[in-house]
Amino acid sequence: MSDPVLSLTNAALSLDGNAGRIDILHGISIEIARGETVGLVGPSGSGKSSLLMIMGGLERATGGTIHALGQDLTQMNEDALARFRRGHMGVVFQSFHLIPTMTALENVATPLELAGNRDAFDRAEAELKAVGLGHRAGHYPSQMSGGEQQRVALARASVTRPEILLADEPTGNLDGANGSAIMDLLFDLRDRHGATLVLVTHAPELAARCDRVIRLADGRIAPATPSDSKAAAE
Amino acid sequence: MSLATSARFARRELRGGLKGFRIFLACLALGVAAIAAVGSVRSAIEAGLEREGAALLGGDAELDFTYRFASADELDWMNEVATAVSEIADFRSMAVVDRPEGAERGLTQIKAVDDAYPLIGAVELTPDMPLDAALAGQDGLPGAVMERALIDRLGLSVGDTFRLGTQDFKLSAELSREPDSAAGGFALGPRTIVLRTSLENAELLASGTLFSSKYRLTLPEGTDLQALEADARARFENSGLRWTDSRNGAPGVSEFVDRLGAFLVLVGLSGLAVGGVGVSAAVRAYLAEKTSVIATLRTLGAERSTIFQTYFLQIGALSLLGIAIGVALGALIPVALAPIIEARLPIPASFAIFPIPLTEAAIYGLLTAFVFTLWPLARAEDVRAATLFRDALGTARILPAPRYLLWIGAGLVALIGLAGVFSGTWRLTLWTAGGIAFALALLAVAAIGIRWLARRAAPRAKGRPALRWALGAISGPREGAASVVLSLGLGLSVLAAVGQIDGNLRNAISGNLPEIAPSYFFVDIQRDQMPGYTERLENDDAVSRIDSAPMLRGIITQINGTPAREVAGDHWVIQGDRGLTYSETPTENTRITAGEWWPEGYTGPPQISFAAEEAEEMGIGLGDNLTINILGRDITGTITSLREVDFSTAGIGFILSMNPSALQGAPHTFISTVYADEEAEAQILRDLAGAYPNITAIRVRDAIDRVSDVLAGLAAATSYGAAATLLTGFLVLIGAAAAGMQARTYEAAVLKTLGATRARILLSFATRAALLGLGAGAVALAAGITGGWAVSNFVMDTDFTVIWPSAIAIILGGVGATLLAGLAFAWGPLAARPAHILRGRE
Repeated sequence: MSDPVLSLTNAALSLDGNAGRIDILHGISIEIARGETVGLVGPSGSGKSSLLMIMGGLERATGGTIHALGQDLTQMNEDALARFRRGHMGVVFQSFHLIPTMTALENVATPLELAGNRDAFDRAEAELKAVGLGHRAGHYPSQMSGGEQQRVALARASVTRPEILLADEPTGNLDGANGSAIMDLLFDLRDRHGATLVLVTHAPELAARCDRVIRLADGRIAPATPSDSKAAAE
Repeated sequence: MSLATSARFARRELRGGLKGFRIFLACLALGVAAIAAVGSVRSAIEAGLEREGAALLGGDAELDFTYRFASADELDWMNEVATAVSEIADFRSMAVVDRPEGAERGLTQIKAVDDAYPLIGAVELTPDMPLDAALAGQDGLPGAVMERALIDRLGLSVGDTFRLGTQDFKLSAELSREPDSAAGGFALGPRTIVLRTSLENAELLASGTLFSSKYRLTLPEGTDLQALEADARARFENSGLRWTDSRNGAPGVSEFVDRLGAFLVLVGLSGLAVGGVGVSAAVRAYLAEKTSVIATLRTLGAERSTIFQTYFLQIGALSLLGIAIGVALGALIPVALAPIIEARLPIPASFAIFPIPLTEAAIYGLLTAFVFTLWPLARAEDVRAATLFRDALGTARILPAPRYLLWIGAGLVALIGLAGVFSGTWRLTLWTAGGIAFALALLAVAAIGIRWLARRAAPRAKGRPALRWALGAISGPREGAASVVLSLGLGLSVLAAVGQIDGNLRNAISGNLPEIAPSYFFVDIQRDQMPGYTERLENDDAVSRIDSAPMLRGIITQINGTPAREVAGDHWVIQGDRGLTYSETPTENTRITAGEWWPEGYTGPPQISFAAEEAEEMGIGLGDNLTINILGRDITGTITSLREVDFSTAGIGFILSMNPSALQGAPHTFISTVYADEEAEAQILRDLAGAYPNITAIRVRDAIDRVSDVLAGLAAATSYGAAATLLTGFLVLIGAAAAGMQARTYEAAVLKTLGATRARILLSFATRAALLGLGAGAVALAAGITGGWAVSNFVMDTDFTVIWPSAIAIILGGVGATLLAGLAFAWGPLAARPAHILRGRE
C-alpha cells in the first residue's frame, strides 16, 4: 500500500455516561489508501459510526493514534481539528444536518466561507448544479424533500474538494429510489474528484460497491469474509 | 476567521425570526423600561422643580433666619439688590375654637405674611377671592385662611372665628393652593396664613419663640445668582443666614426625589437581575435547540471563536432590540401617563423625553444582557461535532473558559460601579448588589436542594403516581427547576424584603413607641410660665413623668476655626439649625462615655457635651472647639464630654448641651415632654393651652401618624418597584413553562399510551408546579426575612420581628404564580394526541 490516507493504530474509544464508563471501540488498527473506497459494516451498536467519527476527528479517541494525511489527529485541539476538516474532509450524515436557517446555496457555501474563499457562492452554485439542484439554490431545507436535502449535504461535503469523504449511512433516511440515486451521486463525486471514501452502511449492495469492507462487531474488527474485498470478488 | 463571516452567519440565524425570543425580549424590555420610567419621572420632577423654582420658593432668592427677623443691615442689603422684598414668619402654634362644651384645638403651621406675599405665583382660595381681601378680615377681626384638613378637624366654616395665641381671627376662606408649599419641607400641622401685622397682639412671636423668618427677593433680570449668593454668604453667613434660590427652589424636595429615585432605580435593577435570569434561560434554551446546527458548523470546520462570535452577535442584536423596546416604553409611558402622574404629585413635574435616564437604563440593560448571556454563549463553543450523533453536551464542562468568567466578572463590576455612580449612593448600591447576589446564591443552592430532595422523595411516593411523576420531573435533568426557583424566587425575595422592612418600620414607629413615648411635646414655654406649667402637671396623678429643658436653636458654623462643612462634610448635624440646651448637671438618663461634665456653678469658658455617636461620625471629639451661631451671635465652646443620646424613645434628646452660663443670657424658651394616661391627655391640653395660649402642643400620636403616612407612601413606591420585579419573574416563569412544553407533551403522550387519564396527568403537572412554587416562595421568604433583618439591624437600628401576614402571602403568591403558569401551559400537552406526538419523534 502507498502512503495511507488514514491510519489507525490500536484506536480505542470509551465514553463516560450517566450509567458509567462504556467501552465502544477496542484496539482498532486500519490503514486506508488514497482513493480507496471502504465500507464499514456491522450490526447496530457495533461501533461503525463511532469509528467513522474518530477518523474525522469529530470524536476524540481515548486510546491509540489516528493519522489522517500524515497528521496525528489525537494531538490536535478542537480548533485545529476543525481547520483540518475544512481543508481536507467532507462529512455526510444519515439525517443530513443542513442548517435550517440557511438556503441550499448558503449551506453549500458555508465550508468555503469558513475557509475564507472569496468565490464561495460561485463554487457552491456550481456544486449545487452538479448534484442537479441548481434550481433549488434559494430554497430552505424545510422546503425540500429528504432526497434533495441529502443531495445538498453531498454538495456541501464535496464542494471543498476534500481528499477524504466520510459518509455515515447517507441513505438511511431515504427510500430505495432516492437512496440509490444518492449512492450513485456519492460514488460519482468520489470518482470525479478522486477522494478516499469511507462509508458506514447496513446495505450489503452498497458495501459491495466498495473496494474493501471492514466488518465490526462489539467494537472490534471482525474477521473478514471472502466477499469483503472487491478485488477478491473480482 | 473573520468577524464578517460570523456576522453573516448570525444574520442568517436571525432569519429564524423572534420565535423563542419573546420572553428574552420581554424580560430585557421590562427591566429596562422600569428603570427608564423611574429615571424619566425623576427627571420630569427635577425639570418641574427647576422650571417652577422661583414660584416654589416664592421669589428668585430666599434668605432664611432662625429665631429672629433680619437686622437693619441685612434688610438694607436686600432692598439694595432686589426690586421687591417679601417677609414672612413661619412657626407652629395651636388654632383654638371656643365652644360651649369646651375649646377645640389643632396644631397648625402658621405663615405670617406681609402685603407683598406672594411675590411669584398665586394663592388659590375657596371661595375664590384675592388673598389680601381674605386676610383683611371683617367685623373688626383680622382674616385668616386655612387648609381643609384643619378646617374639618376644628369643625369650622368660612366666616367662623378661631384664635391663635390671644388674637381672634375670622376664617375668610379655605386655602386650596399655596404656591410655595413645597419649599417648606415636612410640616406636622396643616397651614394657616395670616398677616404678620395681625399677630402683634397674639403674644406668639415673643422673644425666644421658635420661628423662622424668610425674606423672598425679586431680583432684576439677569442677576448672577451664584455671585449674589457668594456676596450674601460673605456678608451674613456667620449671622446664621441660610440661602436658597430659584436654581433649586425646593432643596428638601429635590433631595428627597433624588434619593427616592435612586432607591427605586436600584429596586429596578433587581428587576433587571430577575430579567437577566430569564434572558440567560432563554439563551440556554435557544442554544440547546441550536446544538445540531453548531455541531454541523463544527463538522464543516468552524472554529470555536466563529461559533462564539456568531451567537454573540445574534444575541447582541436581539439584546439591542429588547433594550430599544424597553427604552421606548420607559420614555413614552411616563409621557402618556403625565396627566395622571401630575395630578397625584404634590410638586410640579415637566414631562418630556429625557435622554440621560434613558441612556442610563440602556447601559444597565446592555451590561445585564452581557453578564447574563455570556455564560450560556461561552458554553456554546464547547459543543463538539460528535454531538450530531451523541448527546455530548451532557459531558461537557460546567464552567465556561476562564477568560469568559473574567469578562463576566468585569461586566458585573462595571454594572455595580455604574449603579453606584448613577445613584450616587454607594452604600445603598453595595447593599442592593450584595442582597441580590446573596438571594441568587441562596436560590441557586435551593434549586439544587429541591432537585435533590425530589430525587430522594420520589421512591417514597410509590402508589401515588401523580406525585411520583411530579417529583421525578422536578429532579430530572430537563425540568427548568433552577430557572423557576431563580426567577420567581428573586422577585418574591425583593417583595418579601420590602414587606418585612415596611412592617418592621411601622412597628418601630407606631407599634412600639407609644408604650414608652410621651403623650405631648410642649414647645415655646416661656421661662416665667415654667413654674405654673410644672405645678399643673406635678399635681396630676395621671401624669407619670415630666421632662423639661431649655431650648435654643443654633447652627454649628465652625469646627476648630474651620468652616464646619470642611470638617464634617454634609453630616445632618451641621445642615441647618439644631436644637441645643444647657444644664447644670447631667439629666437622669444621661450616660457620659468620655470626658467629664462641667462642675456645678461653672462660669468659665463655654463647655460642650456632645452626642457620642454623631461626634464619631463627624470626626470630632474631646478638646475640639465648636462655634455655634445663636440668634446671630457666635458662641465658641470646647467639647469636654461625650454622652449617649437615645433618639428612639421620642423623648427629649439634644445633640449639643452647654454649661448654663454660656447660654442662659440668650433669649430662649423651654421644651417639655409629658407622659400621661391617654384619658387624661385632653384635659391636660385644655388646661395648659387655656392658661398659656402661646404654648404649642404636639401630640405624639398625631406626629407618629404623619410620619407613618410618609412611610406608607414610600413603601407603596417601593412596592411598585418590587411589583415590576415580580412581573418580570412571572414572565421568566412563563418562559420556563413554555420551554418545558415540548417535553411535557411527549411525557403526556407516553403516559396516555400507558393508560394515564388526563386528570391524573394534570394533577401531576399541578403538583410539580405547586412544589416548585412552594420551594421558591419558602426560599424567597428566607432571603426576604434575612434582608429585612439585615436592614433593620444594620441600617435602621430597630428590633426585628417576622411579619407573618406578609410572609404567608409571599409563599401563597409563589405557589399561585407557578400553578398559574404551569396550568396555562398544560392544556396543549393534555390535548395532543399520543400517536401524532410519538410518531413525530421517530
